Amino acid sequence: MSASLDTWIIVADDAAVGGLIEFGRLRAGKLVAVVAGRKSVADEVATAGVDRVVWLGQPPEGTPVEAFAAEVARQVGEGLPRVVLGPDTTAGRALLGAVAVRCGGPVFTRVSALDLEGDRVTLTRILFSGIAECRESVDGGPAILALPSGGQVSATGTAIPVEQVEATPMTVALVVERRSDEGVSVDLPSAPVVVGIGRGLKAKADLTLIEELATALGAEVGCSRPLAEGVDWMPKERYIGISGQHISPRLYMAVGISGQLQHMFGVRDAEVIVAVNSDADAPIFSECDYGLVGDLYRIVPALVAALKTVR
Amino acid sequence: MRVVALYKWAPNPQDAQVDPDGIVDWRRATEALSEYDPVAFELARSLADLTGAEVIGVTAGGSAASSSLACKTVLSRGIDRLVLVADDRLKTADSTTLAAVLAALIHRIGEVDLVLAGVSSVDVNEGQVSMTLAAHLGWIGLGGVREVEATDRGLRVKRDVPGGSETLAVAGGAVLTAVADAAVPRRAGMRDILAAAKKPVELVKFDDLDVPEGQVVVSRVATSRPDNARRQHVVVEASEPAAAAAQLISALRQRNVL
Repeated sequence: MSASLDTWIIVADDAAVGGLIEFGRLRAGKLVAVVAGRKSVADEVATAGVDRVVWLGQPPEGTPVEAFAAEVARQVGEGLPRVVLGPDTTAGRALLGAVAVRCGGPVFTRVSALDLEGDRVTLTRILFSGIAECRESVDGGPAILALPSGGQVSATGTAIPVEQVEATPMTVALVVERRSDEGVSVDLPSAPVVVGIGRGLKAKADLTLIEELATALGAEVGCSRPLAEGVDWMPKERYIGISGQHISPRLYMAVGISGQLQHMFGVRDAEVIVAVNSDADAPIFSECDYGLVGDLYRIVPALVAALKTVR
Repeated sequence: MRVVALYKWAPNPQDAQVDPDGIVDWRRATEALSEYDPVAFELARSLADLTGAEVIGVTAGGSAASSSLACKTVLSRGIDRLVLVADDRLKTADSTTLAAVLAALIHRIGEVDLVLAGVSSVDVNEGQVSMTLAAHLGWIGLGGVREVEATDRGLRVKRDVPGGSETLAVAGGAVLTAVADAAVPRRAGMRDILAAAKKPVELVKFDDLDVPEGQVVVSRVATSRPDNARRQHVVVEASEPAAAAAQLISALRQRNVL
């Protein structure tokens, strides 16, 4: 049973939970954030328009945030909220897993709507990489959701007090070394135009052709899975798909991509989808707005030329 | 040392038929591992080869998981033996229930030091079971893993974190989820496939396990099929690339996306 109508938000040492707060704000009851991680994160969340901040204390040096999973679950278990929202990140899922065990229920993913009517919690979510959708009612405990964390919070101006509670993290794992990524970071979700490249590309060197197209379009470049893994032609941050980046650009141009479900899930919210593929039977042609069936090695240069002239 | 590698034998939604009411027909879908499971097998095998550990494949799912094909597919990829529950009552089980069954299997195996998992399954594709399993076991759950090494005090784990990577010393039980490109899985050769047929498979009955029942009740109210009709589906043969390109760009400009 849920004792309260509250919504709890789980913060995993990262204050960029703007999406969770937005999602949680419109519900009845209080919005409570339970923060595992540094004090600076708790302080930032305290300005974000929540009603309570419960902080599990400064992590001892080298403690990964996942070590707080059981303590997060304990706090949620005592609060007995109706809804728990956690970030759909690696660390978030670890904390949500502990909440799920404590509450005896599943973690719901890919939730598009949550309705609270009196006592009844109903959610709409996407199933099986996007082939179907369902509505389900949740009873007997909190509805636990993993949602896109949604970026920086906006400070409301009033900082509420941070309530520190006793918490003992696990000590079995210790961070002994950290390394920062070198190079420019990629921000695919913010790009208004994205070109995706897939298995249709025959050699890594041919990426220059795609880069020319991207430059002509003013686009960022992403890829379907085969190019990010194993073959190692592009960094993993450029992988667009169900377990990679989810993007919603004005225009998504998929070049040499067959259109497997797992990839298309990542671009379902694009305003316009264009596909270029030599296989007329490729699934992508039933998921696009405009499709060109043909050899990308002829079509892409033609697109680049046409984009340069029509200006 | 005992290393468990998790896997899921499940149908690929790509081959499923969905009617307008959102009812999924899996009959034409072939069951398989996800692309990510063999990555976990590879990490487990490499670790085992260096330490003399045993790699045990563990799964909980529908009855198809006990098929000869399913077992041989896993056992030919670096796994020494299997312990599994294959019961159709688990076909639609949620991640918390599946994790509870896996935890019961791991307790039954005993003296397991490490559990390795891939990113997600091919059907449900949620990527949650491994972390919920960690909580059921009372172990630490860590995702984003790229490398696992044995040390005299336990494990050394290298993993991705936002903005970079970190290395952890792990001195106890852990459930680790490997990133998709943590390893390139080895191909199963003829010898591996033949040897697979002789490796032990322990099929555990669901009713013989002590699995706690969940408290949360989820009831399905309705299903539907997402509307594909919003896409225009204007597909042309681009036999004249220059003309096709010009047409496309004109259409995109008209729609104000270029």
